[in-house]
Amino acid sequence: MSSFSRSAQQWATFARSWFLIDARMQPPGKIATMSAIRLQGKHKPIYHALSDCGDHVVIINSKEIAFSGNKWEQKVYSSHTGYPGGFKQVTAAQLHQKDPKAIVKLAIYGMLPKNLHRRTMMQRLHIFADDVLPDDVKANLTEELPQPRLIPRKLNEYTQEEIEAFPQLWTPPEDYKMK
Amino acid sequence: MAACSMFRSMCTSFNSLKLCSSAFKVANVQNVNGSLVSMLAVQSRGIRQVVEKQEGKTTTLEGKILDTSAAPEPPNPAAKCPIYRWNLQHKYNYTDVLLLRQFIRSDGGLLPRRITGLCLEEHRKIAVCVQMAHRAGLLPDHRPKLPEGHVPSTKRPKPKLNRYLTHWSVNSVKPIYKKGLKWKKKPMHVGSYLLKDNVRYGVKPLYIKHF
Repeated sequence: MSSFSRSAQQWATFARSWFLIDARMQPPGKIATMSAIRLQGKHKPIYHALSDCGDHVVIINSKEIAFSGNKWEQKVYSSHTGYPGGFKQVTAAQLHQKDPKAIVKLAIYGMLPKNLHRRTMMQRLHIFADDVLPDDVKANLTEELPQPRLIPRKLNEYTQEEIEAFPQLWTPPEDYKMK
Repeated sequence: MAACSMFRSMCTSFNSLKLCSSAFKVANVQNVNGSLVSMLAVQSRGIRQVVEKQEGKTTTLEGKILDTSAAPEPPNPAAKCPIYRWNLQHKYNYTDVLLLRQFIRSDGGLLPRRITGLCLEEHRKIAVCVQMAHRAGLLPDHRPKLPEGHVPSTKRPKPKLNRYLTHWSVNSVKPIYKKGLKWKKKPMHVGSYLLKDNVRYGVKPLYIKHF
């Protein structure tokens, strides 16, 4: 802002912000792209790969992530321990049960640039499975990002007036025993 | 960059950090899907009730409009299928629960086509949308009745996973251990091919196969 003093302008440009993302009912891939952009600092006009301008990202409710399609059963996370016979393949559902933070972490890790800065960016990422945050993290938060996916409303979340206001598309025959 | 978040934090507080469940609903009201209610209007001229008032030498006759519960007319009454009658052909999705609930029984099954009057393609599209809505958990009250005395097993608690646009049945799908080579990868199907003609207000195409 041009109304700031020089020191305030300098702080506003170069300070490291802390972003909060709620991952409830969100696809992990979309959460990961938003986080990766902000961890690298690509949302800033002063971005340069060497200038260490990335911000902190805090992700909450990562255990309530939603996969589209049948990815919980079909998506497979593979790893190798290095020893013979150590090739392990785990479905997304099994991995999520073992560690609810792992899916989001792996998604973001794969989206960051594959260089030595990636480890420092991952240190600036904070994932929490539920919405309980430690006080020092809470004190640092500056901005909350909007959720990428619109959460659809369940039928019991509609009021009776809204349900009645929606017109009946077809009239059942009189002699049919409904439901 | 830090300045814009500074201004925002002065006005608003964090919606998602509140731990009580009522605040969760408040936070998510902003993200709610719009329903089809607003585009449909009641098309009926109200019946007026004549009210007579006598004030000395002058009598005033007033026609008051009564609220008659007239069924709203469909925009296209000539069509056979109810969805074509209301011009909702390519406009509904698995999230439009208010539409889907009119075609299902209380235990979640679809009503027969000869009763509802749907044409074959729309019946299949609605069937697919209802399946996806059930798997997404959008129809929590339309569950089949469990037999009396049924106790859910506590030995292996079923993991409650959030999902949406699930094409296949949950127990029928096998994990893709070998994805295949770059030019012939095994896709993970999302959503349904039947809904590919739906209206899209965006440039990006509908991706049914995710890799």
